Amino acid sequence: MDFTPTDDQEELRASVRAVLARACPPSAVRHVFEGKDGEYVPSRSGLWKQMVDLDWPALTIPEQFGGIGLGFVELSLVVEELGRVVAPSPFLATVTQFAPLVREVAPADRAEPYLRAIAERGATGTVALAEAPGTWDPGRVTTTARPVDGGWVLDGTKSWVCDGVGADHIAVVARAEHSSGTDGLGVFVVPGDFSPGRVLPVFDPTQPLVELVFDSVMVPADAVLAEPGREGVHASITRALEETTACLAASTCGSCRVIFETTLQYAKDREQYGQPIGSFQALKHRLVEMYLLLERASALSAYAALTIAEDDERRSVAVAMAKAAAGDCQRLLVQDGIQLHGGIGFTWENDLHMFAKRAKTNDFLFGGARTHRAAVARQVGVWT
Amino acid sequence: MKLSFDETVEEFRAEFIAWLADNRPTAEEMEADPAMSSGHAPGWARRWTRRMFDAGWLVPGWPPERGGRDATPTQQLVYLEEMARAGVPRTTNPQGLGIVAPSILDYGSPEQIENYALPILRGEKSACLGMSEPGAGSDLAGLTTRAVRDGDTFVINGQKLWTSGAGHTEFCFLFCRTDPDAPKHKGISVILVDMNTPGLTVRPVPEIVDPRHAELNEVFLSDVIVPADNLVGTLNNGWAMANGSLAHERGMVWVQSVIELENATRRLLGEAPAMIAALPADEQATAADRIADLYIDAQAARCLGYLGFGKLLKGGSAPEQALMKMFSSETRQQLSLVAAEIQGPEALSPTVNPGVVLPLSTQDPTTWIEQYLRSFGVTISAGSSEIQRNIIADKVLGLPRS
Repeated sequence: MDFTPTDDQEELRASVRAVLARACPPSAVRHVFEGKDGEYVPSRSGLWKQMVDLDWPALTIPEQFGGIGLGFVELSLVVEELGRVVAPSPFLATVTQFAPLVREVAPADRAEPYLRAIAERGATGTVALAEAPGTWDPGRVTTTARPVDGGWVLDGTKSWVCDGVGADHIAVVARAEHSSGTDGLGVFVVPGDFSPGRVLPVFDPTQPLVELVFDSVMVPADAVLAEPGREGVHASITRALEETTACLAASTCGSCRVIFETTLQYAKDREQYGQPIGSFQALKHRLVEMYLLLERASALSAYAALTIAEDDERRSVAVAMAKAAAGDCQRLLVQDGIQLHGGIGFTWENDLHMFAKRAKTNDFLFGGARTHRAAVARQVGVWT
Repeated sequence: MKLSFDETVEEFRAEFIAWLADNRPTAEEMEADPAMSSGHAPGWARRWTRRMFDAGWLVPGWPPERGGRDATPTQQLVYLEEMARAGVPRTTNPQGLGIVAPSILDYGSPEQIENYALPILRGEKSACLGMSEPGAGSDLAGLTTRAVRDGDTFVINGQKLWTSGAGHTEFCFLFCRTDPDAPKHKGISVILVDMNTPGLTVRPVPEIVDPRHAELNEVFLSDVIVPADNLVGTLNNGWAMANGSLAHERGMVWVQSVIELENATRRLLGEAPAMIAALPADEQATAADRIADLYIDAQAARCLGYLGFGKLLKGGSAPEQALMKMFSSETRQQLSLVAAEIQGPEALSPTVNPGVVLPLSTQDPTTWIEQYLRSFGVTISAGSSEIQRNIIADKVLGLPRS
């Protein structure tokens, strides 16, 4: 039992951090925020190209599919670093959403070309799951899949698809007509350019979200990852979502840690009444509270990563706890991070808002704190 | 990073579980003769301590001659967790076993070790810690109980307050001022005082819940004469010992608080379905949400503990440990309060016969509101939550002093 990273894991973290310090400074993130990147397309960004050159997309793809085969703890460390720099890239969508879903739901021969494409040439992917009114619960999917000669036809509307513009592949969760709940779910791959999609207006442009309308979209049989009606599809989707959700929690911890470090430094530097404002007890106690919620979220994030890495039976509740705690963390860190900075904290020119917006966005994606606390309550037996 | 334990640790665990099953005090034994305070060791507790000492299970991290078996820190962690899981208190005198005995072993003379430390480890004596005073609470170094050297003796005058278990113990590990002219941290010494020494009186200070239950006491010292040989370590070196002695089990103290928190969580989860079902439909989700939040806190406390533990093992610093006391005690407090609020007006009825709650008890029979009221003992004692926040701000976050 050891919750601390091994030397190899620390080394991985350090090398990722060093690369990102050069490749993704705040000025680069600001370019995206201010539209100086033109139309920002994650998969065509310079950052993603560098990640591909460094084989980052392959890090956690299994070796049998051309990847490097590192474990989930390593992935968790990498995405935490991405959160630290608010990296605008399709890494999260591709490596923590699309890849796990493909791996979990599809037979190996069907999964292989998609995973190999990520590992070997940096193909990008994402997952189309959520629908209005904003739920990532697969049991509430309404998009339908109808069997036809040679494949399936999809009808429905998906929303909040991460990095849905320019992705090479989109994995769509849909269900057999007349099915409901956990029954009848299937997963299909459509090419990213099947529809232009509608880019949703969001306050964090580094995480583009897209609405996709499926109006009788044909999916050939060889692009079906899991046929509706096959046993265990819901469980497989859930396992994949656990990886996605744990990564979002880790990434939130990364963004929040920067908010904390920045605010702490500001409290030490900024002087009023002839002394650093951080010497006032009112601020000290608030900073300790921020520190506590940050460490609480980080510890649960580490725990969730471990349960997934070792496929422990507690993984489901561990992930829900991690996402809830990450939500609690960003809630306080954004609030007090801005507040304790005073006037400069709510200006556009200070970088703080970029971290705050990413942390907020992460909370809403794949279920917020309240949603995941409800999951914890169900799983630990609070209800009859 | 790893969730599972090494094989050697699992073997150790299995060995301890087997030994525990054969040697533990029974629930009936404990119930028939409960400890009346954290200074009280009933017959079964004394026999239990002796049995652990002889078998090397009392303080597993120590060498065999001191009641241990040279266990690794991780093995000690597993030991504490399994003991709690079995519902067996490790000791009814935690301050004696955890602080007084190890301090005497570290600083004391061979005679003091023979007459005071080993008797604690063999279950023959229990001890209290004389630290806080009416005028020295959070600011412990401001203590004024005086010990004046007079030939081969010290003459002690003063008053201690909040002394846990004092009325049931054999002796006190007493912090007193031996140099009134030195800066306040530098004039403090520790003297061992037998509780039956003339001039020493104990007045129980019953707590908020039940006037019959007095864990805390005032200790009055009026011309108490003790042999000069009872000075522990060197004269005026008491402050180092205060820090040292409190640090003794600091690396492991979090385990106890996490276990206690998890026991309370388990009880709450056991009662939750019925309590929630009794609520109006539109209040149920809020109640479930608050319980889940506290469940997450309790699990986070364990994970934070593990994280800090791992860092210490690797020889690093572990800022997480500084959070543990504040976080676990405040979570414990909120858990009791939230449980009582969900329970509704039934929570107002006191426990018919609360008896005495064992230190580190795995079965706390009192009501949620009683637990809530008692929980202030933990958020206030041993460095209040406010002091903890100041310490973390200064020592961990490096914020400037005002």
